[in-house]
Amino acid sequence: MNLLIALARFLIFPGLLFAVPAAWMVLWLERKSVALLQQRIGPPFGQPFFDFIKLLAKETPPRSGINGKLMRAWPLIAVSASLGAVGLLPVLPARGGFEGDLILLLALMELPAICLIIAGFSSRSLFGEIGSAREAVLLVSYNLVFLMAVVSIAVSQHSFRLEALAAAPLSAWRYLGLLAILLCLPAKLHVNPFSLPNAEQEIYSGPMTEYAGFELALWQLSHGLEWIAGVGLVAALAIPSSAYVWLDVVSVLFVGFILVLALSLIAAATARLAIDTTVRFYWQCTLIFAVAAISSALFMRLRS
Amino acid sequence: MKIFTLLWNNLRRGVATFRYPSAPPVTEGFRGLVHFDPLRCSGCAMCRFRCTARAITFESAGKQYTWAYDPAQCTFCGRCVDGCKDHALSQDASCPPIYLSAGSLRSSFTLQRRTPPPKSQPAPSTARLQAGGDHESRE
Repeated sequence: MNLLIALARFLIFPGLLFAVPAAWMVLWLERKSVALLQQRIGPPFGQPFFDFIKLLAKETPPRSGINGKLMRAWPLIAVSASLGAVGLLPVLPARGGFEGDLILLLALMELPAICLIIAGFSSRSLFGEIGSAREAVLLVSYNLVFLMAVVSIAVSQHSFRLEALAAAPLSAWRYLGLLAILLCLPAKLHVNPFSLPNAEQEIYSGPMTEYAGFELALWQLSHGLEWIAGVGLVAALAIPSSAYVWLDVVSVLFVGFILVLALSLIAAATARLAIDTTVRFYWQCTLIFAVAAISSALFMRLRS
Repeated sequence: MKIFTLLWNNLRRGVATFRYPSAPPVTEGFRGLVHFDPLRCSGCAMCRFRCTARAITFESAGKQYTWAYDPAQCTFCGRCVDGCKDHALSQDASCPPIYLSAGSLRSSFTLQRRTPPPKSQPAPSTARLQAGGDHESRE
C-alpha cells in the first residue's frame, strides 16, 4: 500500500478526521435512540463531544498505590488501536490495503478489550477487578464465534485482504458469517444484554471505576471508535462494491446507521444477562452459526 | 416479543418528560409549598417541633418571635400543617416553583407575641394581632 494512501486512510478517511466525530455521533445516536424508546428526552446533539471536552478539563485525582503512567497508557493504546482498526476498514474500494490486513484489523479490534482488562486489574479496585474478570470471560465467549465467522468469510474468498473481501460478490454463506458477527457485536460493544463488564448497578463502571478526567475521556472515545470499527466492518462486508466510490461510502454509512439503531433497539429491549448465561449463549447457541459458516466456506473452497 | 410492542408504543407516544416551564398535573391532596398566615399564628412553635427537615425555624426574643421557612430544605411532608392548631399554615396543591438563586423562596416573619387573653372572658377577634408592632418581612 502506498504510504501516502495509508496515511490518508489513517488520518483523514475513514481514520482520525472522520472517525472521531463519527464516534461521538454514534455514541449520541445510541443514547438518544434508547432514550426515545423509553419515552425520555435523551442527551442533546453533541453531548458525547461536550462530555469529552469537560473531562479533558478535569484533573485526575491522586491514586495511591497505582502506577499512574501505566493507567494512562492503557486508554492511549486502546484509542490508537481502535483508530488503526477504523483506518483499515475497506470503505474506499481499490484505495489501498495489503494481503493479511484482515488479521491486523482483528488484532487491533481486540486490543481495546485487552487494554480494558489490564486497566481494571491495574487499578487495584475491587469493582475494576470484577469488571475485568467479566470482560475476560466475555472476550473468550464471543471471540470464538467472532473469529470463526470472520475466518469463514475470508476462507470463502481465498483471501485475508479486506479489500478483496469487500469487493467479492455476496453469497448466502457470507450472510451466515455476517449474522454470526452481528450476534457478537452487542458483547463486543458492551450493550445490553451483554453489558456485564460495565454493569453500573452492580460494579459501578467496572474496569473504569478508578478512571477520571483525561483518561476517562480517552476510554469513552475508544468505546465510540470500537462502535465505528465493529459496525463499519459489518457494513463494509455486507455492501457489494459498486462502480462509484461515493455510492459505496454512502451505502456503508447508511447500513452503519441502521446497525446502530438495531443495536440500540436490542439494548433497550433486553435486560442484562448473567455471566454464565452469556457464556452458554455464545458457546451453545451462537457457535452453530459460526460452525455452519466456516464448514460451508471450507466445503465451497474444496469444491472450487 | 411483547417488549417490542411496548417500545413501539413508547416511540409512537413521544417523550413523556416535561420541559420547563410546563409541569405534570398534580393529584388531589398534593402537598406543595407551605404558606404562613401571620394573623392566625399564636407562636406556639409546634411547627418547628414537628419539622424534621429543619425547614422551619423559630426564634423567640422577648415579646417578639421570628418564624422562617426555607422551601429548599422542605420535604413537603405536611406534618407542620397537620400540627398547627391555629390553622396558620396551609399548603399549595401545586408543584413548588423553580428558582434560580439560592434562598429566593425563603420567607421570614417577625411578629409580636400576643398576650394571652384573660381566662374569664373570651378574647375579641380583633385583638389577635397587635396593630402597632407587627412587622413582616420577606427575604
